[in-house]
Amino acid sequence: MNINYTPHQKNFRAEVREWLADHVPGERLPSFDTKEGFERHREWEATLASGNWSNVNWPLEYGGRGLDLISWLIFEEEYYRVDAPLRVSQNGIFLLAPTIMEYGCNEQKARFLPPMASGKEIWAQAWSEPGAGSDMAAITTKAIREGDHYLISGQKIWASRAVFADWCFGLFRTEEGSERHKGLSMILVPLDSPGLIRRPIAQLDGDTGFAELFFDKVRVPVENLLGPEHGGWSVAMVTAGFERGLLLRSPARFQAASARLVKLYKQHKDRLSSGVGEQVIQAWMNTERFCAATYQLVSRVQAGALISSEASANKLFWSEMDRHLHRTAMSIMGAQAELEHGLDAIDNGRWLGGYIFSLAGPIYAGTNEIQRNILAERVLGLPRVGV
Amino acid sequence: MDFRYTQNQQDLIEATKKVLEGKNTLQRLRDLVGERRAENTIKQTKDNGASDIWNQFADLGLFGIMANETDGGLEQPLVVMAGVAEAAGYVALPEPLVELAGIVVPLLSQMNNLEHLIQVLEGRLSVGIITPLLPINNATAYHDMFIVTSKFGGELILKEDLNLESRHSIDPLRTLAKTDKPSSLNTLADYHGAVLSAAQLLGLAQRMIDMSSEYAKNRYQFGQPIGAFQAIKHQLATAYMQIEFTRPIIQLAALQGGVVVHNAKLAAIDAAMLAAETAIQVHGGMGYTYEVDLHLFMKRTWALCGEWGDRSYHMKKLEDYLLNGELEIGTMRTFI
Repeated sequence: MNINYTPHQKNFRAEVREWLADHVPGERLPSFDTKEGFERHREWEATLASGNWSNVNWPLEYGGRGLDLISWLIFEEEYYRVDAPLRVSQNGIFLLAPTIMEYGCNEQKARFLPPMASGKEIWAQAWSEPGAGSDMAAITTKAIREGDHYLISGQKIWASRAVFADWCFGLFRTEEGSERHKGLSMILVPLDSPGLIRRPIAQLDGDTGFAELFFDKVRVPVENLLGPEHGGWSVAMVTAGFERGLLLRSPARFQAASARLVKLYKQHKDRLSSGVGEQVIQAWMNTERFCAATYQLVSRVQAGALISSEASANKLFWSEMDRHLHRTAMSIMGAQAELEHGLDAIDNGRWLGGYIFSLAGPIYAGTNEIQRNILAERVLGLPRVGV
Repeated sequence: MDFRYTQNQQDLIEATKKVLEGKNTLQRLRDLVGERRAENTIKQTKDNGASDIWNQFADLGLFGIMANETDGGLEQPLVVMAGVAEAAGYVALPEPLVELAGIVVPLLSQMNNLEHLIQVLEGRLSVGIITPLLPINNATAYHDMFIVTSKFGGELILKEDLNLESRHSIDPLRTLAKTDKPSSLNTLADYHGAVLSAAQLLGLAQRMIDMSSEYAKNRYQFGQPIGAFQAIKHQLATAYMQIEFTRPIIQLAALQGGVVVHNAKLAAIDAAMLAAETAIQVHGGMGYTYEVDLHLFMKRTWALCGEWGDRSYHMKKLEDYLLNGELEIGTMRTFI
């Protein structure tokens, strides 16, 4: 075992730190789930790209630095250390990009990755449907092949970022009469396509972080098919693996939050009951455990291991850790917890916003109930019959 | 940075695990329990067959995992010992192999007591530890001598020179005793003790979840295995997830020492207690009996939670560092 950074990695950390110190916006940007915030975050993506910092682990030819995943973890640590803006391009860079690198042809890589890195094209996810939530194989939205185009008809929901984004990637039923996991394909669709209507959905905080998408014979060229036709389920599972497993939630984000939680506790300590301190410690312990586990997972991935069921354990852990951490903050704030922003709102309502967002964690990326089923069946070998 | 065991380290742990599983079978544990219960006293002598397994450990060099190569040991770091401790926990080993190889041998080394160290490596001597974080001593039936710890070492005392009084554990495979001999904290012993008790708890937790999964596949109710019900699946998955997120922090604690040790022991206590409670629930009424093996692992768990610093001890340490002190935390503080 070796848990030391190489001199190269240490230099890299210093380089990241220096660049971020000069470029990170002095103020927190407005939420990217508002029109103004979305564009401000898009500008930030462009700034990151100008310094070649969008995706340090991507290959050089697509705007990355060709570095390993440990370097990516270092980048994330420095990034959250200075509280840099959340990544509005996360659906693209963390989920779709690794999938394109695995399944995309060279033309697709060259076409989609560079504008994704620069923030010029921001991606939304279009998987769920009103009748296909946890049961994703129940997808009915069709993409009928007509010559060199697909004609897409149907309805998607919970499409994150879709209100303001440029493109979406989704699973569609391309094989007529097919059922369940078979006959699905992953297709990339411009969100300004004729026949595609977006209905914004207001989240708990009132902002429109996701949308419902209505497809009425939306024409998409066959070049936008990602991976094998009718073989989209396995493509989607790769994407979901990244989402649950590693890239979407690096430990640094949570470690920064637990450090802020300790500060919050210290400010309010005098009026808190004795048990609150233990909850704060527990929150910090969890973020450290998550960090240790992630470094181990990354070490294994770099040695050639594939992420499989551990992605489910990972998603359970970070989502429940995040909810507990923010719940603890809510309990510390007492009567001030409900203040959304403005006067007397601690940190201008950031903890409340964080708590609200943490409630989504156990639901998106496959509900925690589904993740527990996956672990029980695939790791512990429990039978699938009955529910 | 490669936070994984090397191939050699992995091989050593796997080989030891195989030995432990081969020698310390469930049948052996049942037989030992049977003997102890038949005697109906707290025996302070070794069990039948104890010297066999002891000699085999010595022949395989297991007592010398951490000893210097020049002294005939394998000179492995604590993190490898933690892997072995997990394997020992997995089989609920009654013999104090982990304590001897992982704490006593390094302590004797710290005390420059080569004479007794060699005897331990050869399996001719068993030594216990009298130290503040072990208010009650275990495995006293096996020990010939005790180290009474001090800040930078300790003093070796013959068992008969100590005023040991028996105590009765719910775990039928532990032989307990108490002494009024004063001792002082020893950093090395505390560090190794906390990490290795955490690692044993992890192995126990894993075993209890494995046993329960097996039980849930074979126990039928309402016409199907109970493991097909989500109410069972989800409990077991939660316990499994906690185990998976405890192993890396124990390994990090073994490598780094310091504050992370408290996190590791606390995480292990909570993961193992959760696994134990989940396991008995999944086993239903059978889990409440002496007839299925689960109780041996559950009782060992209860015992190890209190050794080498209990929950409050480690939590108070974290309170001092985190809430009352000025410990630097946040990103980039975990790996340095």
